[in-house]
Amino acid sequence: MLNIIRIEWLKVKNYRTFWILLILAVIVIPASNTIVADVVSRIPKQATDILGRNFYDFPVAWQTVANVNSFTSIIFGLLLVTLVTNEFTYKTHRQLVIDGWERLDLVLSKIFWVVALALLALVVSFITAIVFGMIYSTAPFSFEGVQFLFFYFLQVLVSLSIALMLGMFIKRSGLATVIYLGYAMIFEQLLTVGLKHSVGAIGGLLPLQAGDELLPFPVVDKVLPSSSDYSHGVYEITIILYIALFIGLTCRRMLKADY
Amino acid sequence: MSILTLRNISKRYGSLQALREVSFEVPRGSVFGILGPNGSGKTTLLGIVTDVLKADTGDFTLFDQLPSATQRRQIGTLLETPNFYHYLSGYRNLQITAAVKQRDEKDIARVLEIAGLSARQHAAFKTYSLGMKQRLAIANTLLGDPDVLILDEPSNGLDPAGIAEVRGLIKQLAQSGKTIIMASHLLDEVEKVCTHVAVLQKGKLLTSGPVNTVMVREDFVELACNDMSRLEVLLRQHPLLGNLALTGGVLQAFFTGAVDPSELNSWLAGQGIWLNHLQVRRKSLEAAFLEMTQN
Repeated sequence: MLNIIRIEWLKVKNYRTFWILLILAVIVIPASNTIVADVVSRIPKQATDILGRNFYDFPVAWQTVANVNSFTSIIFGLLLVTLVTNEFTYKTHRQLVIDGWERLDLVLSKIFWVVALALLALVVSFITAIVFGMIYSTAPFSFEGVQFLFFYFLQVLVSLSIALMLGMFIKRSGLATVIYLGYAMIFEQLLTVGLKHSVGAIGGLLPLQAGDELLPFPVVDKVLPSSSDYSHGVYEITIILYIALFIGLTCRRMLKADY
Repeated sequence: MSILTLRNISKRYGSLQALREVSFEVPRGSVFGILGPNGSGKTTLLGIVTDVLKADTGDFTLFDQLPSATQRRQIGTLLETPNFYHYLSGYRNLQITAAVKQRDEKDIARVLEIAGLSARQHAAFKTYSLGMKQRLAIANTLLGDPDVLILDEPSNGLDPAGIAEVRGLIKQLAQSGKTIIMASHLLDEVEKVCTHVAVLQKGKLLTSGPVNTVMVREDFVELACNDMSRLEVLLRQHPLLGNLALTGGVLQAFFTGAVDPSELNSWLAGQGIWLNHLQVRRKSLEAAFLEMTQN
């Protein structure tokens, strides 16, 4: 595995697109929270008094950061789609196997990115929450509510697993990107709304939506009672099952297909 | 030991039967040419051997073992087109191959030198000409000095000088005892170096084995003089003459047994015929191949 990671590093070390997308994905995390913090600071004092809390007060700062970041994690997915489809564009997926990778190594090399990017998102979010809490919080530092960052981490993992699967199945960079964006931004929301209307709470069990159910916007979720119909555990297990499913389908495809 | 043994390999793409029960064996130290026209299944066959394609039925062994990545790391392979990261330099692309093959990066300079790419090794792959891309692919196969090479149309995209260089390189590699499995439809590319051949046509193996036993390529003598008609009459009287054909202003004489050209010359001179052209030739692989695939 270490050798695979080293090879992945050789591929991206001098790849400008990778670094631009990566820096963008990282910067967006504090940047979007800065915007939210700015908007929140302009809410009239009376209103925040009614809500009872500032959004970047500990302990809700964790939840705020997790919620805000769940809207921008798509950039990590775009980065992953690029890394995966590059192999097909350059036909290097063939060359790597020809030169002495197992087919499974190809999948492992991209699972490495799924985990690495999700961990990066988690760490940057963690630091962002601490920094924003330090700046804006009127309450003392607390780890209470830090589990929201774990929910965010799960959501990034499932989102990246979708990107991995789409990249490996579709192979073409443009098409995979459009389908990934379309699914993450529009199609799943539509499905969720449709299912919730017609069937019920099960609509909340779609891959990305399950994460959203775990990550309601803080404070407001106390005022407007949560729409969650299942316990946290159900959503967490659902997400983990999706991750296993998407990675399993990807493995099956890559082990059997002609390259 | 056999380097590669194929047993009843079949492969179908939709309605196209790309390979039909192909079996043969590549012995160690051989230069094994896989011949066949475009679309005869050569690349499909090598794709299966390198695990980028899956055979429908049949199996194969590499180095007498079940094929896996470990065996592939000991083989230098150029399959179809050069596949490299466009945004990386030639050198960095070879660094990746060295890591995959678990070979020392020190060897990169050597193979780039052989391929004539040292001067451009730090330029991005996408800036290379077609010929340079092919040269990088050849350098890639040589990395780590593997004992077995699989080359699929190795001189694709090269200029005449490049083709000659590749041919020289293959000869040199063959002389150093390496096993070379080469697919080509350019017969003169393999003619001078092959010890063994397998001939494919529409996915079927027509024949395989040592080149001199599977392809009948008898010697013939080319002769010319100032009086061709008299020469022809005289040659017809030669007891060992099999076949005689006039092509390109020379007579091609096929004999049924060994004929010493100096004795032939002396015999003709004795009859008053002074040759201005005498050459012993062997039927080209191309001619033998065409005969085989047209029957």
